[in-house]
Amino acid sequence: MKKVRGMRVIEYLLTVLVIVTLNFALPRAMPGDPFLIMSETEEDVVVLTEEQREYYFELYGLDKPITEQYVSYLGDLLRGDLGLSIYYNEDVSTIILRRLPWTLFLVISTVILRTIIGSLLGTISAWCRGNFFDQFLFFNLITISEIPAFITGLLILFVFSAMLGLFPLSGAMSHFTTYESLWEQIVDILHHAFLPIITLTLARLGGIYLLARNSVITVIQKDYLVTARAKGLSKGRILLRHILRNAMLPIVTRTFLSLGSLVGGAILVENVFNYPGLGLLMQEAVNVHDYTLIQGIFLVVALFVLVANLMADLIYKHLDPRIESQEQTTS
Amino acid sequence: MDFYPKVKSAVNYFKQFSLSGKLALIMILIILLIAIFAPCLSSHPHQRSSGSALTPPDGEHLLGTDDLGIDLWAQIANGARISLMVGFGTALLAALGGGILGIIAAYKGGLIDKILMRLIDIMMVMPDLPVMILLAAFFGPSLFNIILVLSLFSWIRPARVVRSQILMLKEQSYIKSAESYGASSWYLICKHFLPEVSPLLAVSIIRLSGRAIVAEAGLSFLGLGDPTSRSWGLIIHHALNFAGIYYTPFWRWWLLYPWLALTILIVSLAFIGRDLERIVDPRLGK
Repeated sequence: MKKVRGMRVIEYLLTVLVIVTLNFALPRAMPGDPFLIMSETEEDVVVLTEEQREYYFELYGLDKPITEQYVSYLGDLLRGDLGLSIYYNEDVSTIILRRLPWTLFLVISTVILRTIIGSLLGTISAWCRGNFFDQFLFFNLITISEIPAFITGLLILFVFSAMLGLFPLSGAMSHFTTYESLWEQIVDILHHAFLPIITLTLARLGGIYLLARNSVITVIQKDYLVTARAKGLSKGRILLRHILRNAMLPIVTRTFLSLGSLVGGAILVENVFNYPGLGLLMQEAVNVHDYTLIQGIFLVVALFVLVANLMADLIYKHLDPRIESQEQTTS
Repeated sequence: MDFYPKVKSAVNYFKQFSLSGKLALIMILIILLIAIFAPCLSSHPHQRSSGSALTPPDGEHLLGTDDLGIDLWAQIANGARISLMVGFGTALLAALGGGILGIIAAYKGGLIDKILMRLIDIMMVMPDLPVMILLAAFFGPSLFNIILVLSLFSWIRPARVVRSQILMLKEQSYIKSAESYGASSWYLICKHFLPEVSPLLAVSIIRLSGRAIVAEAGLSFLGLGDPTSRSWGLIIHHALNFAGIYYTPFWRWWLLYPWLALTILIVSLAFIGRDLERIVDPRLGK
């Protein structure tokens, strides 16, 4: 059993290596002169003299052999040094740390909300399987989950912000205001975050809903539920202690597993709502050709997703030892 | 080859579709026609200005114009070509590549299979959107690059599906007997394996093209689309970059119509994919 788990961890380490190497190799494999592209904007064209080029090569250590460059790159990474942002003239790690909390806030709130709402709706749906309400939920939630979050987000922004004016059009806080109390600040932040979170939750609800519905339907048919009912337990007790508890396992795993695509969704949704997290930062970096910044964000996001996936793997095996024995027999 | 039974079986397939699936098929057909006949459908060019900027929809410009005075209907009709090309191009490339890899891995087994499985494991945990953004940012957003990058992330599903199917197939007695008669791997692949897995691949292609269209729209939306060919995502990107568009009435056509087109296409493909999955593999239903 130890061996299987070890294999998974090695696989993840390999993936990390692939990602880091990709990050190292891309700017070197990029067509054209990186310095030119970096300093060029859409308006003005830059021509570098030979001296300037040599200066840049030395500054970025590009005159050294490639293996030495790779080792020093890995060393920098381990020290948390992601390089200097060319556009902002600031450490990439500092910029990322400043923006990261907003993205985390969106992602974590979404995970909590959709797990609760999804399991709840799934259970209700399974409970009254086959009737109109179940079919209505089933069709709508599955359809919505087929539409990517940024598309739904645009519609939500059209309706609630642009037409009805109920919510702010962009940002995470009101600008140029002083808050009279902490409470007022919290309300303002929630007011700004509400639509992005709702968008992400809606787009991601289908998976959890379907999972909850299916597992509850399976559990309902088990013998121990017949026993529970025969014992005369109340409906609520059966639902909580017997059904939900047994249905939780796949939901927890799914939650962690889906963090990867959720982060992808968040990157796009932040751009819909102009929410100042990593996703918006990435687009800003793309617009100004700030390659070190793009790479830094990519690395942070990728590592976050990998850690989430690894956690899903480990939790799943921890919660359900059957998986491990199954994997051993098949592999 | 007689044609008639094929038409008949196609009609039978159509009958098995649900109501939403039938509607979706019709929508896709319409979008396909729009894409094919894009140049004839609009009297205005899609790349040059043909009126004053930002006119609301009227008789002259069916869906209005953008900030450069370019007719939106012409742009959307032409964008359909690009979205569909990226979608089906990626899906075909990924399904063929993934399918062949899956067949080889399953049939040859051994080291090739092991390597492929590890590769799939690594690709599965790779966060796709961030990597795509990175690749598109570094290699420049041409249509060809985008299709290539999307395929790179799409071959995994067909490869896995095909592999497990072939693993099952190669134990069948008719394959064994064909082998004992001296059939080559190539013969087996062409004559037995590919026809067996082609329905599965067909479903994959629909699913993959849906995902590719979404991914392309996402990349264009971030400004990483091919600037020379305006896909729907890129129209949306340009509209959103118009400062303060929500404070003006312009978004009511400039943003709304490309958004609507994209949504209809994505939802239709999803419906068709779901129905096809149900028909090809009845176990997957409710």
